[in-house]
Amino acid sequence: MAVRRGTRFGRFAAGAAAALLAATTLSACGGGSGSDGGSTIEVSHGYTDVEAKALTALANQWNTDHPNTKVKLLFNGGNDNALQKTVAGFTAGNYPDVAYEFGSSAAQLARQPKLVDLTDKVNAPDVKWSDFYPSEREAATVNGKVVGFPALVDNLALVYNKKLFAQAGIAPPDPSWTWADFRAAAKKLTNASTHNYGWAYVNDGSEDTVWRFLAMLWQAGGDLLTPDHSKPAFDSAAGLAALQQLHDMAVTDKSVYLDTGNGNYLNLFNSGKIAMLWTGPWDLSSINSDIKYGVTLLPGYNGNHETISGPDIYMLFDHSSGRTDTAFKFVTWLTSAPVHLQFAIRTGDLPVRKSETELPGYKTFLAKYPAEKVFVQNLDNVKHVRPNLPEYAQVSSAVGQMVQSVLLGQAQPADALKSGSSQVAAALTGS
Amino acid sequence: MTSLSKTPAPSQRRPRTILPRPQQQPERARRWLTRRRSDAISGWLMITPSVVLIAVFGLIPVVWSFVLSFQQNDLQTPGQWVGLDNYRQLIHDPVFADSVRHTLVYTVLFVPITLGLSLLVAAALNRRIRGITVYRLAVFIPVVTSTIATGVIFTWLLDPDYGLVDTILGKLGLPTSGFFSSPSAALYAVVGMTVWGWIGFGALIFLAGLQGIPQDLIEAAQIDGCSKAGAFWRVQVPLLRPVTGFLLVWLTINSLQLFDEVYVTTKGGPLHATTVVVYYLYEQAFQFFHAGYAAAIATVLFVVIALVTIVQLRLTRDPAAGGERR
Repeated sequence: MAVRRGTRFGRFAAGAAAALLAATTLSACGGGSGSDGGSTIEVSHGYTDVEAKALTALANQWNTDHPNTKVKLLFNGGNDNALQKTVAGFTAGNYPDVAYEFGSSAAQLARQPKLVDLTDKVNAPDVKWSDFYPSEREAATVNGKVVGFPALVDNLALVYNKKLFAQAGIAPPDPSWTWADFRAAAKKLTNASTHNYGWAYVNDGSEDTVWRFLAMLWQAGGDLLTPDHSKPAFDSAAGLAALQQLHDMAVTDKSVYLDTGNGNYLNLFNSGKIAMLWTGPWDLSSINSDIKYGVTLLPGYNGNHETISGPDIYMLFDHSSGRTDTAFKFVTWLTSAPVHLQFAIRTGDLPVRKSETELPGYKTFLAKYPAEKVFVQNLDNVKHVRPNLPEYAQVSSAVGQMVQSVLLGQAQPADALKSGSSQVAAALTGS
Repeated sequence: MTSLSKTPAPSQRRPRTILPRPQQQPERARRWLTRRRSDAISGWLMITPSVVLIAVFGLIPVVWSFVLSFQQNDLQTPGQWVGLDNYRQLIHDPVFADSVRHTLVYTVLFVPITLGLSLLVAAALNRRIRGITVYRLAVFIPVVTSTIATGVIFTWLLDPDYGLVDTILGKLGLPTSGFFSSPSAALYAVVGMTVWGWIGFGALIFLAGLQGIPQDLIEAAQIDGCSKAGAFWRVQVPLLRPVTGFLLVWLTINSLQLFDEVYVTTKGGPLHATTVVVYYLYEQAFQFFHAGYAAAIATVLFVVIALVTIVQLRLTRDPAAGGERR
């Protein structure tokens, strides 16, 4: 999940009951948006700044090149609440033809009757479906059904402040780092009297808390659920190793700044108070120019430096066959290698297709964003994806509570695993 | 005050007819009736826009929410009737029980503290001194500040490492707290933050009440030998009863519906420590898409708020109004 800063704070009516139901009621009054033979489609997205400009430029380009069809971009208020916006749109009978969604929302929207099933369509030769990275394709597939096109991909790598490492006399992290190396460095970089920390962890219990733990769980050889997704599988040696590492760093060494979810960690990184982050490409543009930073792979467990990727997707929703046809053509074009590379060069977002790295323009991309090179290489370290389940939100919430209880020193890793596991089991059986 | 007025009542000024003309009475009644009917029609016409708005955005959603609470509904596919299942599940849901407990603790702390401090602030502001407008403005500013801004500022102020509050506490040698990041302190930190945000509103209402109390009552009390403080507690405060009643109901409803402040600062955490009823409702409805279950929570909350409000209104009814409905 790409958590875009600055879009987190949506404001919701306190009387959520009324808000929830006002939307439902409006379905009675709201008619569907008028169909005009497939000539105009609506694409909702939550991009801001450079990304919004780049997408607008591409939509304009499409509109110029295709005078018979028109793409209209709609800002959804921020991608963090894209799912809520889209669902409210369905109840109101006013939904977009194409919507940008977090990969973790795929399973919830896969139940939507208006969703366009892309399973057969992506076999068309001009889609070049297998050119997308495997983890992206998996994230866009729910129970064998292709529900979207990969829109954006990122992953976690280790971003560190070079000056703080030099000051502490520690060799900068390299791709061979182990968890023990990481812990030792974080401890040395921590100074309680000056409030300096080695590492920061987003500890709000949301998916932001969960996915860093998942990377560690997978590195240690574990998994979140059993392969058939029927039961939890993280109450294992791997789960214990991951939680123990978090416990040792946050509770024993106190070398971790626990961010309450307001993104303060980035400001503190900018003030030289935090030495290392596990973060993705989206944070790089917010790092101040006077902070010299390096990027390398995540520290590994037994040589496994696996990371986690949060592929986001474009989902298509049916209004009429004409509009669906236009939407499919537009998204195929938008995510094609040459067009997406233009987007990547403008924004610094990673390529979504392997073949983008072979195009001549890729050199321009690397020259403009040298730090992104590691993130692109790191895409090969993405080996698992989150389970695409409608219950994922509850599973994530239970795992988030578990990780949080360990980081706050409220539970021992083994106990936390047991209670987390039983809560996930309950969420999976729907009780 | 004289009870006998020398000027006759308006009706007495009209010449009286000793014997009513036979048709007069029914005709007058008829005219009166038609006029009443046309008054009613024009009256209804005038309030139609409000009635429609309240019905569309108030009543229909409430009724629909009630219907939804008997369904299993993900807001995307057609719902299924499950009878009372949602309510049954609610009784056995430990997180819901926690959220009720947090809401009660919050309400029990927030309402009296806000009422008390608002009264003291209003008393302090109810005087003619130089620059009083500036002070009143300063007290009221938190009310008009957006909750988001308040939340961000408090998150920084109360940060255990870099926050001003803990730094000062540490310098003074007092114990520091984790505030929003500590499961045992987070709810109290939210109480503190919301009290700060609401005092301005409470003080404004109390101030209006205080200024409505005739000065001669206080003077009379002082002539009778009452001290200034005595006059405040024994004359002014009792006369503020209707105002206090209004604030009590208003603050209670708001604290039972607490959401924004939690959403902005703690998101119900850490470890559900600040998960209050409406936040849990939001989580169920818009993160897990259990709309039927969320609607059941909303229904329970609606009933509780209605009951609490009725009880409070009865208790704080103005005795001067003779216990009549106002």
